[in-house]
Amino acid sequence: MRSPGTLLLLLLLPTSLAFKPTDFKTCSQAGFCRRGRALSARAKENPSSWHSPYSIEPPEFLPLNPRQPGFTTSVRSSIHPNVKFVLDVRIHEEGIVRVRMDEEDGLRKRYNEAAQWALIGEPLLSEDVVWKMDEGKAKAVYGPKKDMVLVVDFNPLKITLFRGGVEQVVLNGRGLLHMEHFRTKEDSKPAEHIESEGQSVLQVNPAAWFEGDTQDAFWDETFSSWTDTKPKGPESLSLDITFPNHAHVYGIPQHATNLSLPSTTGPTARYTDPFRLYNSDVFEYLADSTTSLYGSIPLMHAHSAKSTVAVFNVLASETWIDIAHTGKSGVETHWISESGILDVFLLPGPTPTDVFAQYARLTGTAPLPAHWSLGYHQCRWNYVSSDDIRGVQNRFDEEDIPVDVFWLDIEYAEDHKYFMWNKKTFPDPVEMTKDVEAIERKMVIIVDPHLKRSNDYPVYKRASELGVLVKPKSGEGEYEGWCWPGSSSWIDFFHPGSWDFWISLFKTKTIDGQWSWTESTNNVGIWNDMNEPSVFNGPEITMPKDNVHYGGWEHRDVHNVNGMLFANLTFQAAAARTDPPRRPFVLTRAFYAGSQRFGAMWTGDNLGTWEHMAVGIQMVLANGVGGMPFAGSDVGGFFGNPEPEMLVRWYVVGAFSPFFRAHAHIDTKRREPYLLEEPYKSLVRDILRLRYSMLPVWYTAFRETSESGVPILRPQYVMFPEDEAGFGIDDQYYVGSSGLLVKPVTQKGVKEVSVYIAEDQVYYDYFTNHAHRPKNRHITVPANLDQIPLLIRGGSIIPTRERPRRSSPLMKHDPFTLRVALDTSGNARGELYLDDGETYGYGKGDVVWRGFGAESTKGKGKGKEIGTVRISSVDLATRTAVGAYDPANEFARSVGDVRVEKLVVLGLGKKPLSVVLDGGRELEWEFTSEGGVLVVKDPAVRVVDDWAVVVKLE
Amino acid sequence: MHPWLLLALALPSLAALDKTHGVSPSLVSKYLPSTKGSHQTWTCLDGSKEIAWSAVNDDYCDCQDGSDEPGTSACPNNKFYCRNEGHIGAIIQSSRVNDGLCEQECCDGSDEPSGVCPNTCQEVGAEHRKKTDAERKLRKTGSKIRSSYIAYAHKEKKRLEVLVADLVKEIETREKEVERLRDIAERAESLSAAELERKKQSPLYQSLLVHHTALKSLQKEHKKHLEREKALGDILTSLRTGYNPNYQDMAVLEAVRGWEALAGLPHINDVRKGDDGEADTTAEKPTTEDNVEDEGLWNAAKIEKELDQLLKTDHVTLLLEHDQLVGPASAQSLLLDISAYLPDVLLPSYHSFRDSVLSALSVFGIGGGGASDTSAESNRARVALSDAEHSLKLTQDEQRTANEDLSDIFDPDGFGPEGEWKKLDGMCLSKDTGEYTYEVCLFDEARQIPNSGGSGFSLGKFSSWDKAARAGELEYYTRQHYTQGAKCWNGPHRSVELVLTCGTENTLLTVAELEKCEYQITGTTPALCRPLEDEHTKDEL
Repeated sequence: MRSPGTLLLLLLLPTSLAFKPTDFKTCSQAGFCRRGRALSARAKENPSSWHSPYSIEPPEFLPLNPRQPGFTTSVRSSIHPNVKFVLDVRIHEEGIVRVRMDEEDGLRKRYNEAAQWALIGEPLLSEDVVWKMDEGKAKAVYGPKKDMVLVVDFNPLKITLFRGGVEQVVLNGRGLLHMEHFRTKEDSKPAEHIESEGQSVLQVNPAAWFEGDTQDAFWDETFSSWTDTKPKGPESLSLDITFPNHAHVYGIPQHATNLSLPSTTGPTARYTDPFRLYNSDVFEYLADSTTSLYGSIPLMHAHSAKSTVAVFNVLASETWIDIAHTGKSGVETHWISESGILDVFLLPGPTPTDVFAQYARLTGTAPLPAHWSLGYHQCRWNYVSSDDIRGVQNRFDEEDIPVDVFWLDIEYAEDHKYFMWNKKTFPDPVEMTKDVEAIERKMVIIVDPHLKRSNDYPVYKRASELGVLVKPKSGEGEYEGWCWPGSSSWIDFFHPGSWDFWISLFKTKTIDGQWSWTESTNNVGIWNDMNEPSVFNGPEITMPKDNVHYGGWEHRDVHNVNGMLFANLTFQAAAARTDPPRRPFVLTRAFYAGSQRFGAMWTGDNLGTWEHMAVGIQMVLANGVGGMPFAGSDVGGFFGNPEPEMLVRWYVVGAFSPFFRAHAHIDTKRREPYLLEEPYKSLVRDILRLRYSMLPVWYTAFRETSESGVPILRPQYVMFPEDEAGFGIDDQYYVGSSGLLVKPVTQKGVKEVSVYIAEDQVYYDYFTNHAHRPKNRHITVPANLDQIPLLIRGGSIIPTRERPRRSSPLMKHDPFTLRVALDTSGNARGELYLDDGETYGYGKGDVVWRGFGAESTKGKGKGKEIGTVRISSVDLATRTAVGAYDPANEFARSVGDVRVEKLVVLGLGKKPLSVVLDGGRELEWEFTSEGGVLVVKDPAVRVVDDWAVVVKLE
Repeated sequence: MHPWLLLALALPSLAALDKTHGVSPSLVSKYLPSTKGSHQTWTCLDGSKEIAWSAVNDDYCDCQDGSDEPGTSACPNNKFYCRNEGHIGAIIQSSRVNDGLCEQECCDGSDEPSGVCPNTCQEVGAEHRKKTDAERKLRKTGSKIRSSYIAYAHKEKKRLEVLVADLVKEIETREKEVERLRDIAERAESLSAAELERKKQSPLYQSLLVHHTALKSLQKEHKKHLEREKALGDILTSLRTGYNPNYQDMAVLEAVRGWEALAGLPHINDVRKGDDGEADTTAEKPTTEDNVEDEGLWNAAKIEKELDQLLKTDHVTLLLEHDQLVGPASAQSLLLDISAYLPDVLLPSYHSFRDSVLSALSVFGIGGGGASDTSAESNRARVALSDAEHSLKLTQDEQRTANEDLSDIFDPDGFGPEGEWKKLDGMCLSKDTGEYTYEVCLFDEARQIPNSGGSGFSLGKFSSWDKAARAGELEYYTRQHYTQGAKCWNGPHRSVELVLTCGTENTLLTVAELEKCEYQITGTTPALCRPLEDEHTKDEL
């Protein structure tokens, strides 16, 4: 039993050293959020009389040209009749609807560039729309089945997307749309008693029923010791988005919460505050909260067994989102943003896969990463010297534990001037990097966005000379804040003048006498941390909102996009080090819609607790929903000293995350795998070897997501969109299309787990080959510390490389093992994608892409019994890639010696009579009747070739 | 013909591997086929399975124990032997076989398919011999110095033995003296005990005892508070220099500012901004003591100096002397009174002086007499006894220390089985790393001293040799642990692992803080240079 003392300590811990709620605002501490929630409260109080004050003029084109993709028209607000707004509605390819609204001829301009950074291009317009007028509304009918209907109600303004006659998404259905117009401080004098001929007359504010009668935090706002001067006054944006027929909503990362988002308001509320999107460096964040974290993707999926849709609300300013699950299996949401135009995309689905494709069409996909970046990353704040790095590498090798990447945190840099080595501890950085690269490993080195304000720092000096640093509220000079190096300034990546400069810094050879990072190599990956941006002495640990960026935009307008630009430029810079470019690796902490194009993210500074381990999985799943699949959480937890059991379990979580890195705070004990006692050390070694053996699966999954946008970690609702019971499950997931299902253990002392299975299918234990048939939709699998709940879905073929190596590039010529897991009808399929893992050669067809199949044919006479199983390999690239593809391409030739060394066939009913290479020799094999496992020894077929192995059972 | 097709024919390329490829010499004899009818078979070394002889080294793992693939990477956790002719054979992990990298350990290139790695055994062997020679030379020189350390230990042993013998004699003498004085004291006391008991009932005496206890308690409390204040000051000082200004913890910042105000220090951020780091932190320190002193009250210095003395006052003597004082004034009372104001060291001589004066006075019929005189007499005897006992104890302590030193010299847990470390006891080595100088006084304490001034932190006191090894083994003496140094803010007590190797000099080479407040310092010492002959004997065994 735990002693009362320990209990007490556990109770005290969170308050004594954890998240400081006083550092960050609640909705009630943010003026515009307060106003937004008050608006919604007023609507609730007057349900019968409430109506939106916004209406539109009937679009002019109607009925002249019914086939145009959309229209622009003016919007009128009954409470501010003199203010002009404009609405633009368009239907794009794939049935994506875009709705934009802006103030027209206002005193100032609302920020309208968020989409420019998020989208990969201007979306193409649909040519397949027919508009018609219908009693105060315009209707667009489109889609291949003509079952999509967009209805725009004129007065009050309401936009509804239907599919098959069912409401999918409704904008302003609850009348909470409100765009606060620009005004002067004079104009905005509140309604007051006006002295008239000695009489006091109460001037009634005609807008009060909607806007309220107070001018809450219109012109300045103080939080803690900081005052936001708000020179532009109120300009917030409120919009209600309702999904009347979808009971689950997902997405809007990044929050430490369940994948299926809980309510924040109404009778079902689990939280009191709305979900917040405001990129923040939150010290020791809570494992269950709606507080904003490091990144923001304003994309929300709404899902039901019949349909999936999504909204992508392209906002770059601080945004709060209230969610209420309504009784009649729908969800009401309310989005409150501080500034910016209204710019909403409606993604029509109808399946999760369609939504992913539609979102990918807008913002792009995660490109194929460098193959080595899927290996294991060993990080710590900090490896203290070149010799420390060498020592860590030696210890890994002595223990034969695979690792691909060693990381350097901020202490490598003299006075935290990034790029500048501390020569006392790193006297030979290039030699050190080359010692790491000698084992085909890589180094990733941190470069943060804050520049030490010191003229002996060439990066700061040049940025200052170029005038590309963020400006303070005056709009003049350089904003100065406090970060790791002390007094710092930040490059304004919105300034085009900063782009070439930043790219030039990463060159490993000096060009034109400009300073560049000659003390690095072209293989070095870059870690972009602190790009929320984190400012230690700023409001909410970030920049003041009235700071000024390029183009005169305030920081408040661009905050959530800001961090993405940093990673974007670093990604470009790292790629541009060589000609032709090679795939760079960049890790970012802050992110936004579109960040998936620029590398990986991790879930920031988590704690070494079971709760954080568990929520890390949910956060990575949510990031996948948000289109950013290359994600992981710090293995072991950034803060704290995890006990060995926790560390072992966390390594499993890491091994089954797209991005797999162990990291630790400077105050923690070292915990590199080789330091563990037995049996933990061997357990972690085995987990790491498992990850490496499965790199073909991961890489193949990355290829798929780079095309489809479908996340790598697939929760139940993505895999089985019609299986209602799975919609809330977020502690197990499938890896890509491989058929691997994993449920990492995230609790102490677990001996077995129950895995949910949505289908009537056989699932095989990955390690024991045991065939499970679900009972009541569940499988119970043993889960002692040396066991991983990992299943292969019947019908899958899993390609692995089983030879332990020190690093992943050293596996390039290793043979493959194929696990052929037959489904209940004796069939299976799988995929393997390979390329050189480094260059963009795949774009011109330098790939090997194989499809594996197993087909059973029934035997003679005996009805259901399988007669033969034919296992084959075919070329998928020829079938799908563009004309340039040559099966004998350069890469394929370079792996011409790679063979398939073993087939493991699971689910054979009885012992085979023979196993023959199609058109060739008899093969050696062994059969274990328990479980029906056939192992075929070394068919010696080349992985690049077409081949078939025929198993005869009778 | 298309080159593509040529390649296709080249598979499998490893088929022709020698069956004993990668087998270590001790196992080569086990790699022979058995003939079973028409075909040859082979049994896995663990006996678990019989396989075709052709399956040995065919790049497919058949045996559970991996023994069928000594020369490939097909079985995990195998060992691969490279013969390295011209050099020394080596064993590598099978994960390094056929991975495309030429292993340094396998200079014959046998870890990769033939033609991939050059055979560099000639060069590597020569290089290795050169290195070994250099190491041997170093050890030879080092071991000479080491023998001088051993000689020193023997000399030291002799010195201590002589010292111990002398001390034994001295103790004997002192023991006798104590016996003699005890005898006198006991006799004197038996005479006066009853009278003394009566006098002790005096309210004045009782009150004095209470005052004494109160004062003693106050002193104890005072000392406790002083220590506490110092500890708090240390904590706050390390908070001030060590806190991370970046976490925006206002409470910490306030604490730092408060401490700076109280201790009169400049704000640390201003200091950090300056080029000299913490240079001026001590310079500006004003006197923290209160300048205003209440008239007549003792100040801190006086308390420090004289309170102990006051508490040592012998109240019984005072009681007796008081009696005389309240009686008729006399020279004796004055003289008796003086003893209260004399420091301990002067007391014995004063007492004898007083005794002679007193006896002279009594001769002339002056001075107190009777019972009270007897009490004073017994008390004096008691003082003399305790003086003698004290001296005896000091001598005994000295003997104990000498004995301990003596046994430590050749204790494998102490200065090594040959006493080779005795010479280094207390030797201070230091390493300047720019910002700090690290000093290790061997077997004593390690310190971190800022080069910008200030006393720095204790990194710990010597606590043990390498606990992972056994005392007496060379490995045991390659690591020293210094633990329980000054506590880090938000961290552990500072500690040092001193990693030593054989070298001709006692010197520190590198300092690294691998974990917060845990330092690894490397260095060399001749004490670790065992003579070369040692190894030969070992090898033969």
